[in-house]
Amino acid sequence: MPKPKLFAVVHTPYFRLQCAQQKLLNAEIESNRQTNLPFFGESKTVPKTGDKIPSALLNDAEIIEINPAADAGGVSIGITPSLALARAPELQIYSSVAEQEEQQQEALLQLCYRYSPFIENTSPGVCTLDLRGRKDQHQEWWTRELLTQWRILGFTAQIGIGPNPELAEQAAKFANPYLEVNANSQLLRSLPLESLQPSHELLDILHNWGIRTLGELIRLPREDFGVRLGLEGLALWDRASGRSTKVLHHMQPPETFRESIDLEQRLETLEPLLFVLRRSLEHLTLRVEAVYRLVAEIRLLLLLDNEETLERTLQIPAPTRDVAVLFRVLAQYLETVQTTAPVVGFALEVFASNPGKHQFNLFQSGLKDPNRFFNTLARLAALVGNNRVGIPEKIATHRPDSVRMQWPAFDWMDKTPTSTKPPRIGPALRRYRPPIPATVELISGKPAKIQSQSVNGEINKLAGPWRSSGDWWHTDRWDIQEWDIELAQGGLYRLTLSAGSWSITGGYD
Amino acid sequence: MPPSGKIIELRQVLAERFPRELPPPSSLLATGIDCLDRPLEGGLRRGSITQLVAPLPSSGSASLLHELIESMQAASQFVALIDGKNSFELIDPANLLLWIRCDNVSQAIRAADLIIRDGNIVLSILDLKQNEARELRKVPATAWYRLQRVTAEFETTLLLITSYYISGSSIAALQINNPLRITDFTELSSTISQSRLIDFIYRKNHHVEPQYAQA
Repeated sequence: MPKPKLFAVVHTPYFRLQCAQQKLLNAEIESNRQTNLPFFGESKTVPKTGDKIPSALLNDAEIIEINPAADAGGVSIGITPSLALARAPELQIYSSVAEQEEQQQEALLQLCYRYSPFIENTSPGVCTLDLRGRKDQHQEWWTRELLTQWRILGFTAQIGIGPNPELAEQAAKFANPYLEVNANSQLLRSLPLESLQPSHELLDILHNWGIRTLGELIRLPREDFGVRLGLEGLALWDRASGRSTKVLHHMQPPETFRESIDLEQRLETLEPLLFVLRRSLEHLTLRVEAVYRLVAEIRLLLLLDNEETLERTLQIPAPTRDVAVLFRVLAQYLETVQTTAPVVGFALEVFASNPGKHQFNLFQSGLKDPNRFFNTLARLAALVGNNRVGIPEKIATHRPDSVRMQWPAFDWMDKTPTSTKPPRIGPALRRYRPPIPATVELISGKPAKIQSQSVNGEINKLAGPWRSSGDWWHTDRWDIQEWDIELAQGGLYRLTLSAGSWSITGGYD
Repeated sequence: MPPSGKIIELRQVLAERFPRELPPPSSLLATGIDCLDRPLEGGLRRGSITQLVAPLPSSGSASLLHELIESMQAASQFVALIDGKNSFELIDPANLLLWIRCDNVSQAIRAADLIIRDGNIVLSILDLKQNEARELRKVPATAWYRLQRVTAEFETTLLLITSYYISGSSIAALQINNPLRITDFTELSSTISQSRLIDFIYRKNHHVEPQYAQA
């Protein structure tokens, strides 16, 4: 026996209004912190949000969305803001923000994709999930989880489950916050015809027949109804009876994770910026988690008051979803940033990667916490200088002391040790940087006595000279003579003659 | 003032009657250099500071340092070299070596603190051999003590190389006693390192007296 089909619809009531509220809330919380006002207080700067406060969304001088409190206060869609305010003086009016709506719709799709690979981007704030393949009989646990995640992002929604997308959507509209219905559900039968959004002509005909609810509609014989009202009528009957086979337009949610906020006030200090960044980071991480990925890169764009922008991409050495780790990377970078003007907005984007697979060989070990390690490296670089910490690498030249510091690559921990080298001869050198200038007495063209600020004495034994030169085609060509000397009182040193001047370039130790 | 003969005798009796328990092998980090591992009974103690004193200008401490880095590389272990006077001379490529080039002792100690707290590096080497004694003396005892506490807390291993003994911070202090000669230029580096004469000058909870007490 085939398993009955099941669909779920996540319905976010007055979605566009919620988006606008969410955007303003982020910005206002920030300005509130900046002025050190208590967040919990009834401060003038804190916007009043939620179902109990009458709120409406404005677009082109017209109210286009309202919440239930505004509806109860007599505000209706299509009226002007002045009329709306006259009816409900407490009304909060928000402007629509298309970018925010787009980002939040993507977030909704990403969250839903976690629970079903077959989803449809039905309309703003609405996502339909095809639940075929889900083995669990009880839908409540995952719907609750999904609603919680959506609430963390700042949205309240309802979920309806039914045998077809239309019924599921109807159930979602009446859910509190979750409702599962079947075709024979009494609730569905009592729904008005308008809930299926038939054409005006069809609706007028049915009203003239005295039919107001879906239950009354499906009591009519299907064939006779079809003969009188044609295909459109048949389709409506099927949808009302739960027979509809609407084809879902399956899609994959975009893998972009971006949040942008225009701050209400200009930020001149780091702390309030970090506060709001952390919040955005939490949201983005949640979305990344929904698609079972890890954050590998963070791109931060700061918008400055003088219309300049500051953009920086930060790599995450070991991709993670740990907000604390990601925030540390972000905070550490921002601590080093000096902007030319106060910050008035930002865009934060994270790039996801698949969880890495790595297997060390038998004798290889990895870093315990690569993210912490690269964090430490950045601190070390701040302490000693950028080019003074890293993996030393010899430059392909014979010029003495030619070494460059390589910033460890992210796969540093995967590096295998260098292969077997031929055995070295002689003791190692401790190089004096810079070399110590010296006065050298020569006997028969060989150094016999040395004087400098730290090394003085008769030269007991010596070896050399070792001559080398290079880069003669450059202005910084070099041509040196090196001697290895042993002083009478002990101590082996390297003496160098370059451009007619003697210096001690190192001590053997 | 050197301790009296009775005290030395008493310590010897106690040491014979209650032989010191050897640390478990897991708490030791074998360096692969015999002249270091042998006196340390297996290697450097994890979670502790071991001090290597090289009082002579050319005693082979840099050669030992290179040998140690090479040995750790061969064992695929990460090493951090905190170079107090930016004097390290790279001879061979070292993929697993993190070199931190400091200008002074204060910077080096702060860098060591960061590296130890990081907890990712198996062996940290704080090389202060080239730093002047007067600079080292300016470091308050509390700074060494703090370094010791951090090392213990994060269970990392720190090898401290200095030109004179700094008391109080390390679990053991070894001293290289033989100077290099110009004839050593014809010797293999490994031979030079292995031929270093290394003696204890301090060992925590051990009856061997510090060298200065015998002078």
